[in-house]
Amino acid sequence: MAPQRFEVVRENKYLKNMIEVRGVSKTFELSKKQQKELNTTDTLFQAVKDVSFTCRPGRVFSLLGPNGAGKTTTLRSIGGIIKPSVGEILIQGVDIVKSPNEARKHIGFLTGSTGLYERLTPNEMIHYFGGLYGVEKAIVDSRKNKLYDMLNMHDFANKLIGKLSTGMKQKVSICRTMIHDPDVLVFDEPTSGLDVISAEAIINLIRDCKNNGKTVIFSSHIMSEVELLCDDLAIMHKGEIIEQGTFADFKSKSPDKSLTERFIDVIKNSEAI
Amino acid sequence: MSPIFHIIKKELKETLRDKRTLMTMIVIPILLFPVILSLTMKTSQYFANEANLKKIVIAFDSKYDAHPIINELQNLSETDSLLEIRGIADFSISKELIQKDSIQAALFIPETSKNALPVVIYHNGTKIDLLSRIKEKIELVKQKTILWQIEAQNIDPNSISGFEYQMTSTASAQETVGKLAGGFLPYVFIVFGFLGCMYPAIDLFTGEKERGTIETLLTVPVQRWKILIGKMCVVVLSGILAASLSLFGLFISIKGLNLIKDPELLGIINNILSFKFISVLILLQIPLTIFFAGVLIPIAIHAKSFKEAQSIITPLNFIVILPAIIGFLPQIELTAITATIPIVNIVLATKDLVAGTLNYGHLFISALVMCFIAALAVFVSYKQFEKETNVLM
Repeated sequence: MAPQRFEVVRENKYLKNMIEVRGVSKTFELSKKQQKELNTTDTLFQAVKDVSFTCRPGRVFSLLGPNGAGKTTTLRSIGGIIKPSVGEILIQGVDIVKSPNEARKHIGFLTGSTGLYERLTPNEMIHYFGGLYGVEKAIVDSRKNKLYDMLNMHDFANKLIGKLSTGMKQKVSICRTMIHDPDVLVFDEPTSGLDVISAEAIINLIRDCKNNGKTVIFSSHIMSEVELLCDDLAIMHKGEIIEQGTFADFKSKSPDKSLTERFIDVIKNSEAI
Repeated sequence: MSPIFHIIKKELKETLRDKRTLMTMIVIPILLFPVILSLTMKTSQYFANEANLKKIVIAFDSKYDAHPIINELQNLSETDSLLEIRGIADFSISKELIQKDSIQAALFIPETSKNALPVVIYHNGTKIDLLSRIKEKIELVKQKTILWQIEAQNIDPNSISGFEYQMTSTASAQETVGKLAGGFLPYVFIVFGFLGCMYPAIDLFTGEKERGTIETLLTVPVQRWKILIGKMCVVVLSGILAASLSLFGLFISIKGLNLIKDPELLGIINNILSFKFISVLILLQIPLTIFFAGVLIPIAIHAKSFKEAQSIITPLNFIVILPAIIGFLPQIELTAITATIPIVNIVLATKDLVAGTLNYGHLFISALVMCFIAALAVFVSYKQFEKETNVLM
């Protein structure tokens, strides 16, 4: 199914595409157990089908869709966690499949389910990831201090993560995501399961990233967050992009409807076709 | 129905519907001892049969070629294809030949002609299966001698006792202790080495999946195999540490707690615990622990939860213990063939190391086999870790 484009995003000659997803498909092999669970005899499952879009610096791109639409698979492919079966993904012009380590240096990845090492302290965790990103210790210290100031983390920097509250843990996750100062930020349902205060910290982070000229792509079920942050969007359903463009154009198509209503309409229309 | 009974019924139903619980609770306990015992008995029987089919060579000083006992032995060997009587010109090398297993016994006939001193039969005391066969042959000759004396002198059979003989082992006390009790040492470090690897393997792989940290880790610009090797090193180090500490505990119990009262045995043990012994022991542990890590990690990577990993790995304990038990069997020795059997080779090499009879050629084969198996295990772990469906929930 070809995506229904309601407006072509205008090229800005000053802004390079930071994320380019070109014709990406992802197929998983199903185990016998999975076949039984999905009540199918198919040995393959196509989670993402021919997905293409671009994300630009200083803009927030929202990837929306119901459960099982293929958002997480797409974001994991962008983050270099899984390899696409077909197509290519460029991060700052670097192919994530051909040069995964080079591409990953520019990416900060955060999900709502991102776990932390509970037997480490925030300081130890940040230094561990700083080291893995190849950032010098002095630079890690300097960035860490700035982030600690910004997120008010100094008080619990040396406590074991396992003993921290959910909000504190989320701050550690943010700090871990930002320690290598990435140009591209991938957030997969970053506020899922968080309380309002913790969710606000994430929303502020995304806004700051955008204001600092970083490229942000995020998926969410919470339409109020989308409304607050989104510049461009794509709606996925059953592994395909069924609609994409700027958020302003998406809203302007049915100004009398709420974002949730508009979203449901798009999904229903795609199923009707 | 009372609430307690109601809860019992539901919990029992749910428990019995869990295949892994059924495996650990019912199948393994039922099958464990039949499998361990039948394998141990079959292996033991196989080696006992092999030993029974081995030709026994009894040597004697060739200057006693015409001695009646030798004559009787030679007569016996004519009807017994598994017995050879061999005269050797230089009898002083007989003990060396026994140790090399070129001959199995040597008959020393005292110079005095009146049978005042007993005939000394040298043998290797660590080969207990051969001892009974050698004794059996000597007893047959003794009986023949008695009959021959009765016929010649026509006297009361009860007053004739034939010739006296004594069995003397050529094996040193260390060798005897090593061969007969040395199997305990590898058993200790195999069990603790495996357990030492088990929990870190589950925690570092399945645990990371369960806690959701693996996804974060896979976003860093580090090749996946480097992440695997880093984690694997910790699993191996944990195994080596656990095994080494268990041996250290054994050492403390011997040295510090003064549990061994026999000064001779204590002297032997002190003699065994040399720097060379400990160095070779650690060298043997390294490939063994890498092998354990290589077996455990793919399972831990594949498992979706700590419980699943634990339920798959627990039965493996018994598979690992089995070769360690085989090490207790006295008939099995480190040869070019047994050196190719993983785990068993380490057990047998350790036994020989304790006994002070380690053949470095066989040790080299054992180390080579273990390194190959360990490398294979690392490769399998790498392949499993590369699979996206394995590392992500």
